[in-house]
Amino acid sequence: MNDREDHSQPDEAQAAESLAVPSRRQMLMMGAVATSAVVSIRPALAQSAASVMNCEIPVPDMGRAGQYIAADGRLVPPDTPGAFPAGRVFKGEDVKAAIKGRSLPGTSYEQSQAYMNYIRRLQAGNSGFTCYASLQMPR
Amino acid sequence: MAQPRFRAEDASHLVIKPLDDLSLIYHRRSGTTHVVASPVPEMLGVMGGDPLGVEEILERLSQRFELGNETESLIPVVAARLEELAALGLVERL
Amino acid sequence: MQGLSLQIGPASFRIASAWREPVEQLERLYAAYPKPESGIADFTVRLEPARPWRRWVRPSVAICGDYMLPDAAPLPLAQGLLAAEMGMNLQMALGWRRHALLHASCVERDGRALVMTGASGSGKSTLAAMLGERGWRLMGDEFALLDLATGDVFAFPRLISLKNGAIGVMEGEAKPVRFGPLMQATPKGDIRHLVPRPEAVARMSEGAMPALLLFPRFGHEAAVRSVGKSESFVRLTQASTNYVALGEAGFAALSRFVDEVPAQAIDYGSGEEAMALVEQLWSAAA
Repeated sequence: MNDREDHSQPDEAQAAESLAVPSRRQMLMMGAVATSAVVSIRPALAQSAASVMNCEIPVPDMGRAGQYIAADGRLVPPDTPGAFPAGRVFKGEDVKAAIKGRSLPGTSYEQSQAYMNYIRRLQAGNSGFTCYASLQMPR
Repeated sequence: MAQPRFRAEDASHLVIKPLDDLSLIYHRRSGTTHVVASPVPEMLGVMGGDPLGVEEILERLSQRFELGNETESLIPVVAARLEELAALGLVERL
Repeated sequence: MQGLSLQIGPASFRIASAWREPVEQLERLYAAYPKPESGIADFTVRLEPARPWRRWVRPSVAICGDYMLPDAAPLPLAQGLLAAEMGMNLQMALGWRRHALLHASCVERDGRALVMTGASGSGKSTLAAMLGERGWRLMGDEFALLDLATGDVFAFPRLISLKNGAIGVMEGEAKPVRFGPLMQATPKGDIRHLVPRPEAVARMSEGAMPALLLFPRFGHEAAVRSVGKSESFVRLTQASTNYVALGEAGFAALSRFVDEVPAQAIDYGSGEEAMALVEQLWSAAA
């Protein structure tokens, strides 16, 4: 069992600066066993020579600009229960502060998971890359 | 029964770029780009280059982050993420 | 074989053809474009008969060149110009390594670039053409070239490819002499090419700092949403023809781009609606 350094108390220099503000570790969202935390960028195969030559970019539809993201990452109407706005805008400072704890203002764990699932869907199926890039795959 | 241990890919082989609440990892050895969510970047960060068991990794995470009270229940979560990372070559199973 | 040589942005082409007509059309439409600087072309495109007798009998143009699609369907001679354009696109898509290639249209104002990407039919080419007639410099309608070191975008201003409804829209905005022949019943419907304005051609080597990324969608009630960096990144890897091949340099360029350039998705029902949204979002991004 390792010795546990106690980081819950600020060191003296910090304590002097932040007497009124208790130092706190950032919350880390751990997720669940079954929820994958990685999406890998991968090329996809061309569906057919015709689509490839005609260069239909088979990326998943952007969806309507006003749509929301459901927990499983699908785009749904805004009034769908449990869905979150698809727009995610964070200021630079928010992101820097959140890097230690991954907890951005206004995002819950559920929102982050929904967003991750949405990102995963962008890679799902056989429509990952443009027609051009898919040409580089053996056929 | 010996506990499985894991070692993260050497930091020099990974380029990590935090974006919004997800991060990007470019894995130099494979040339693959991954989009990752917590707790993956934090796990890779605390593992350093050390060979560690699941509980040791969880211990290190709890030293740096607030994990709540039910840390025992997080053991299978860390184990599942390690399996995922091992399959992608981002950690090595020892 | 007859042919011509062309410089478009940083890339140069030698286009050879078994038939005279496509070469004549290319010479007319690309009259203002410079010849390759060194006299040696980066890429060769060849328009060849699909079978020897198809040079004369129902002439059929196979798109050949340094990079080819072996099982691609040939085009009728009436679409020879389209074949040449597709040939050039194919060389860039498969062979260009000096920049990260984004399948996107791009226009510039005051040294800053607006990049628009999306599926076929999203309107990115038409929007770029319209903006090009309203005070913006057209940088390209097919590819935006992202500099791997500086993050600037560079121009690839080949002929703008207008499809179906966009043809009529732009015929109302530009003089007839700037248009190529109307080609009907191509694999993508009706197509007509539009020559970029002289200034766009003259300034083809000038880069610009990317300032706004848009994902336009035509045919919907006007709406805007901001697009997260991770989503932009994944979509742009899908819209890049050489992301994987560029390795770490591609990763660095694209991740920097999404980190620094704000992104919005816009739905619009008409060109005018889109113009208004663009101006509004451009001012907000300043």
